[in-house]
Amino acid sequence: MTRLAAFETGEGRKSMAIGSYFRSDYIAREVIKSIIYVTMAYGIVIVGYVAYDFEEFMANIYNIDLLQLGKTLLYRYLAVVGIYALVTYIIYSFRYRKARKNLRIYYNNLRRLNSMYKKEASSQSEDS
Amino acid sequence: MASLLIIREKLRNFYSRFENYVRPALKFLLAFITFTLINRGVGYARILTKLPVVLIMALLCSFFPTNFILILGVLVILLHLYALSLETVLVAAVIFFLMFLVYFRFSPKDTVLLLFTPICFALKIPYVIPICAGLICTPASVIAAGCGVVTWHMLRYISLNSAALTTQEDEAIFALEKLKILIDALMGNREMQVLVAAFAVAILFVYIIRRLPVDHCWTIAMITGTLIDIVVILVGDLRFETRISIVGLIVGSIVALLVAMVLKFFVFNVDYTRTEKVQFEDDEYYYYVKAVPKNTVSLADRKVKKIKGREKLPSPPAGHGRREEEGTDAPEYRVRRSVSQGDDRIKNMVSTSKAAVQKSNKSRTRRINLPEEEDKT
Repeated sequence: MTRLAAFETGEGRKSMAIGSYFRSDYIAREVIKSIIYVTMAYGIVIVGYVAYDFEEFMANIYNIDLLQLGKTLLYRYLAVVGIYALVTYIIYSFRYRKARKNLRIYYNNLRRLNSMYKKEASSQSEDS
Repeated sequence: MASLLIIREKLRNFYSRFENYVRPALKFLLAFITFTLINRGVGYARILTKLPVVLIMALLCSFFPTNFILILGVLVILLHLYALSLETVLVAAVIFFLMFLVYFRFSPKDTVLLLFTPICFALKIPYVIPICAGLICTPASVIAAGCGVVTWHMLRYISLNSAALTTQEDEAIFALEKLKILIDALMGNREMQVLVAAFAVAILFVYIIRRLPVDHCWTIAMITGTLIDIVVILVGDLRFETRISIVGLIVGSIVALLVAMVLKFFVFNVDYTRTEKVQFEDDEYYYYVKAVPKNTVSLADRKVKKIKGREKLPSPPAGHGRREEEGTDAPEYRVRRSVSQGDDRIKNMVSTSKAAVQKSNKSRTRRINLPEEEDKT
């Protein structure tokens, strides 16, 4: 009972929130969140890169093949997003599996507790 | 070994008994060490280096979640760097932001690991980190360890080159130049990159091996992890010509092994000679379980009862009880005396002794009369 209560107030809250999703929904949601974060990070890196080479960038801005530059940046962005999404997929699949396992143990314990209560109730009714 | 186990049990008992006080105290200590380390490395804002300020910040951290130490630590670093120069604080803020995007996304619970990484670097035992992280954390802790390594190297570079990065009168001219120097230094820091890679590989290997269902997996994991760490660093050193000290690496790895052994003693102390393989089922699954018992000792439950020395009792009135006649102290008499002083425990004892007396009456055994009882009779 103590274990159940501890689970409900601690780790259980998170596990229950995760368990309320289907696996694919949960992982997709997390991957989308990751893509938003990585886009922000990539934007910051690009700004940093421009600031880093600002003089040269401004001097050669008319000579740069902007289409080619755009393509390069896009490919790099896709590569970074791909890696990040893959890592997110692996980590959150693992977390989902762990949460489901914890919930399974929790429900098993809950069932046992319920059967104990039933047994106690029946023995009391027999006594009376 | 048994005495060590007893010490461990005592520590555990102490922690579980005083957890409410021990946790904030440990957080305070961790925060205090962190802030002191930051002040020693990049203490450019004088006000933040004063002891009362550090103590207040550490005290504040002891009441908040552990991640608060991290956030406050980063704020303190940024304030120090602001006192140094605007470009430095800009670069550091961007790097911290990028690190936080990854860190809070994947391993927000590894704050202690992230904080310990620079601390271990300062103590010259950085190789402890991958082994211990692999043993007690998850693979996601690679991120926390990596962030710790980057933070340490960034602060060290700024600390060593503070003169070049200080704000000058003609700062507008050199602002971009300084920005460039700083980014070059951080991006081109091969030592940092090699250490991040070595720590990541070692953490993953240690984690995978210690999860294997084989005997002594923790010992195998820590030894393998140490060797892998050494190999990756040596290869990186050869490839990129970093200036990592080989002697420091060997000695640090030995220290890491020793620390890992201590950690194993506290966290994963099992007896493989008593391993059992059991099989059972519930409504949904069949279980094939290998059960390895933990090494434990049960502490003796000692209760110290203070027994006062026999007091010289006032001699009871003449003719009281046969014991008096025999020249011995009557225990019951003393008990009664204590009752008059209002001790509840003694009252219980008296009620027990009364019951015993009544029982002895019933069974017609020889009894010792108490003075008051005699009075009644």
